[in-house]
Formats: sequence, structure tokens, C-alpha cells
Amino acid sequence: MLIEILQQTINGLAIGGVYVLIALGLTTVFGILGIAHFAHGSVSMFGGYLTFFLVTSQGLPLIAAIPIALVVGFLLGLLIEIVAYRPVRNANHINAFIVALGLTMMVEGINLQLFGHEQVVIPTGLSKVFRLGGITVPELRIYVIIAAIVLVAAMMLFVEKTKTGQAIRAVAENRDAAILMGVNVKSIPLIVFGISTSLGVAAGIMVGALFAIAPGIGEGFVVKGFAVLILGGLGSFPGAILGGTVLGITESIAAGFISSAYKDVIAFVVMILVLLIRPQGLLGRSP
Amino acid sequence: MFNRVKTGALAALAMALATTSAFAAEKKLTIGVADALTGGGAVYGLPQANAVRMAADEINAAGGIKVGSDTYKIDVIAYDDKANPTEATNAVRKLIDRDGVKYILGFCCSGSTSAVASFIGNEKAVMLVGNAAERSITTKKIPNLVRTRPPADFTGQAAGTFIARKGQKRIAVIGALDVGFYAQYVDSVERELKKVGSEIIAREVFTLRDRDMTPQLTKIRALNPDAILVVGYVESAAFVYRQAVELGMNIPRYGFTSGSEEQFLRVTTSAQMEGVWDLRPTELDLLSASKNGIAYHANYTKRYNATPSPSSPYAYDQLYVLKAAIEVAGTVDDTVAVARAIRALAIPPQVVMQYLPVDGKMFDVNGQAYTTNGAFQWQKGKWVFVEDLPSDAKAYSQFLSTLN
Repeated sequence: MLIEILQQTINGLAIGGVYVLIALGLTTVFGILGIAHFAHGSVSMFGGYLTFFLVTSQGLPLIAAIPIALVVGFLLGLLIEIVAYRPVRNANHINAFIVALGLTMMVEGINLQLFGHEQVVIPTGLSKVFRLGGITVPELRIYVIIAAIVLVAAMMLFVEKTKTGQAIRAVAENRDAAILMGVNVKSIPLIVFGISTSLGVAAGIMVGALFAIAPGIGEGFVVKGFAVLILGGLGSFPGAILGGTVLGITESIAAGFISSAYKDVIAFVVMILVLLIRPQGLLGRSP
Repeated sequence: MFNRVKTGALAALAMALATTSAFAAEKKLTIGVADALTGGGAVYGLPQANAVRMAADEINAAGGIKVGSDTYKIDVIAYDDKANPTEATNAVRKLIDRDGVKYILGFCCSGSTSAVASFIGNEKAVMLVGNAAERSITTKKIPNLVRTRPPADFTGQAAGTFIARKGQKRIAVIGALDVGFYAQYVDSVERELKKVGSEIIAREVFTLRDRDMTPQLTKIRALNPDAILVVGYVESAAFVYRQAVELGMNIPRYGFTSGSEEQFLRVTTSAQMEGVWDLRPTELDLLSASKNGIAYHANYTKRYNATPSPSSPYAYDQLYVLKAAIEVAGTVDDTVAVARAIRALAIPPQVVMQYLPVDGKMFDVNGQAYTTNGAFQWQKGKWVFVEDLPSDAKAYSQFLSTLN
């Protein structure tokens, strides 16, 4: 029984890492700019598709394709901010909401046109399996978990320790005060979208390597990302990390010990229960 | 005077030529295909649509369909039903109402096919179902519907006998069990297992969109089964096979998927697939294929630069069935006569699948065709046909006739 619990926890950690990265991107955009960026899932999958294309069609090694995809993701984030969201920044919130929905359909369509309708799996060549006691962990999942930890740590360091990170936090806390303190608030949304999209691309690569990318997959992940956002607490980075991990492990344990048919339902029931006790989310601040 | 005669003669010649060409004009018969060309079902639907186009070109190149003194060249319109019941209904309505199509082929997936089957009986059209395996499609006695693929439980019975013979006592099932025909397959397997004292100890479910099956497999692993049985679409099943190895499950793996090598290798490695059994209708496989099957494989591969999926000939065969029936009925307009002719057909010589005739005919009274079933095993990167599975088409046909 203990081995099964540990195995399910490890199973859930990898997918939890993906949720964390998706949610971090979403929480950055939502917490700082107040935009529910629904296209985040589709943009993430674009990153996965791009990596697949670079590896399989251009013959690049995966280790070279990943940084290229992350940089393209960053630039794509800038483009999305300038073209899609900047024009509606000062308009009613519903405008940004509609733009987000339209952008989702557009990116899904672009993915379909550029990469086709078939599911793709990013080849990694990592097929070793490590065994410890009765627990088995595939090499690929270990790398995914490590990569997620490194990216989360880098993001936290950036936000906490750099001047740009401090400026982002200042805008998130109080935009008017940040302007008075001399923060260049025009560049903040650009940086936020760039970083958020890069994190999403990293998540897309992980999904493509662990599982598969196919049309429509991104939508499912963005729903989970928003669930994590609410579970962890809106706009809270530590909340997104905790929420993503909890959701991944809960899904795995629910499928293993209750029923695989209801794993999504059970995960959302847990989320609702948490919110009943802590309406602000696990690590969110009380209003 | 001479000029007037010459002009008159030329005019007469032109008129004669025009009249002759009007009589000899080729007629066009538009065939519709409704199938999953995108989405999860496209692994089955797209190769089916390709197969119909290929058969149409072959028939056209060989002179077309002969109806009395007329010759019809086939034109194919294919719509994407995304394996979705609503999309399939819309696609078929469009084919019938807008395009004026009377013969509709394809239909890879059961949910979408059942939706169309529910109203096709009221239409002046003939529906030829391919890969969709849900049993109820041919239990409703719809006179203008036939199916080339046998129902899933016909194959499940044969698969159950095979697994029981292997001596494994405790089998864990993982699959898309919320899809009717997969559940029917497993029920049939279970009935056969019970006869020898074996049992199914777990029924774990995944949805068609799931790709992480490690929680279900971890649960199964804790039960210590003697073997696992995987039933589902290729894309999901491939992940089950891969993740079972990653979880160290070194037990026999049986499946019901009908995927090609290429489709599996997009997800797994050949080493992860080694030894897996696929217990399914004896579809296209080069080791078991007839001369037609070998030619089909070569032509398809050349034309589409991809190997055909094992189930794709169900749709290819549909068009040859239709051609034969139209020629026997002597009409393309009277769909009732063509539907009747289809049911009375012997197996046409051009078909690829190995059909089991019932009372000398390709389709039984339910409009159902039966193929042999086979045990295929993954050996060194390929599906290898190992043996035929016992399949009694006549007995099953009688059973099918008793259902509503």
C-alpha cells in the first residue's frame, strides 16, 4: 500500500510540474495585468509543436531545440502583448476577455495549419527506467521534474532578486504607486508576457515529450492552469507552485485509489473543498 | 454550288459528331465519404477516406462502373465528421441534401456512425459502414445500411478463447470502456475466460484524450495480474504499452487496437512493444494478406507515402461492393434496388479483407459482413500474424439476428 501511494505521488509529480509551469504563466499575467489569458494553453502547445518540428524536420538535437523554442516563445509573448492586448489595455475588461477567446481560436487554427491534425510526440531518446524498492521512475519523468524545479526557482529568483522582478511586483501591488516611484510600467506587460509565454512553451515541451501534443490538448491544460490559480490563490507564485503540485498528485491518487473514470472530477471536488475552507486559495491573501 | 455542298456536308458532319459525343458522354457518379479526417479518430478515418479515393481512381482507370450502355466515372466528396455525432449528422445531411449524393461510405467510428444510422433508414441513400465496430449498428435491420467490419464482440469471443488457452488466470483490463463496442469486446472476452475458470480482476478506464495512464497502471500493478488487456484507440493504447514497461510490468500484454507499426512507433519504441498481442479481425497484414492485400499495401504506400492502417481496406472494399451491386442492379438512381443487390452479393473478387461468407453471401440478413479474426504479435518492429482465431460467422449472425 505504501509503495502504491509513493508510486502514485511520483506519477503525479511530473504532471504536477507541468501544471505549475502553466499556472505560473497564467498567474503572472493575471496577477499583474488582470487578463485571463485563455490562449496560454494553445501558445504552450505551439512551443511543443515547434520543438517537435526542430527535432524531427530540421534534425536539431533536443538540447538545442529547447532554448530556440523558449526564445521564440518569449518573442511570441511580446507580439501577443503588442498586437492583441495592448490595444485594449485601457478598455473595459470584457474587451480583453473577448480578445483572449479570439486569440485562443486563432492560435489553435495556426497550430492546425502549420503542424497538422495528428498527435505528435517529441522524441527524446530517454527510455531508461530507474527502480528503487518497488517504485519505478522513468528517466524522462525525472528530467521533467528537475526541469520544472529549475524553471520555478529561476522565476522566483528573477522576481525576488532582480530590479525588473521588483518592478513587476511593484506594478502588481499598486500600479499608481509604481508609476510615482519611476517604474517604467509600459515595458512591464511586455516582459510579463514574454516570460509567461516562455514558461508555457516549457510546459508544452514537457507535455510533448511525456505524452503528446494534438489539437485541443492546450485547452484542457489551460482549464487545469486556471484551477491551479484558484486553488493556490490568485496572483500568488508560491500558491501556483503548491496548487499545481497538489492537483497533479490528487489526480494521480484519485485515479489510483478511487476511480480513473472520475479523476478530473475528484481533483475539482478537492479544489472546491479547499475553497470552502480557504476561499482565498491555499496561499492567497484575504481580501 | 460546290461550296454550298461542302458547307452542308461539314454542317451535317458537325451535327453527327455532336450527337455521337452526347451519347458517348461519360456520366459521373458522386460518392460521399463521411469520416474522421481530423481529431482522435483520424488514425482510422483518414486512411479510410484515402482508401476510397484510391479505389475510385482504380475503378475509373479500369473503365468505371457499367450500367447498361452507360459508364459512370466516380467522383468522391469527403467531409470530416471528426468522429463526432453532430458533425457526422451535418456531414451526411450536406452530402444528401446539398450534393445530391446517394451512396455514402467511410464511417470509422461508432458514436458518429450510430448517429447517422439512426436516420439513414428514412433516406433515399445507401450507407456503407467501415471500421465502426459498435454491435447495435447492424441490429436495427436497416435495409439501406451494410457494414464491412465485424462487430467488436464477434472478435472478442475469439480473443477470449485465445487468452484462455494461454492459461493466464487473472486478467486486468484497461481501456476506453465508456465506448460501447470496447465494453462489448471485453464482455465477450470475460465470458470465454469464465469457461476455463479465469477472471477479469480489474476494469480501469481511460478517456480518448487521456495520455497519462500511469495512475491506472500503478493500481493494476498492485493487484499482481497475470496479464493485461488493452482496448482503445491506437494513440491511447500506445501510451498504455509504453507506460506499462516504464512501471516495470513484465507480464503478457494483449490488445484490441488495429494500429499500424507506424502509428505505434510515434509513441513507443519497438523494444517497449516487443511481445504485445493484438487480437483483432484479420485486417491488412502483409504476412497474412492475399494477393489483393499485397497489391493494396504497395499501391497505397506509393500513392500516399505512408503505410495503410490495417483497418483501411474496410472502406476500400466498400467501393468495390458498391460497384458490383450497381452493375447487378443496373441502376444508380434506384437506391432500394442497389441496397437489395448489395445484400445478395457474393464476395467480390477485388476485395482486400478476408471475409467469411454467410450462406454464400458477403453480407448476412442484418447487412453485416464477417472477416476472419487473427492473433498478431509485435516482433522486432513489426506486427506478425501468428494464427487464426476461431470465428463462427454463421452462429454469430444468428445471434445478431435475435437482437434489436
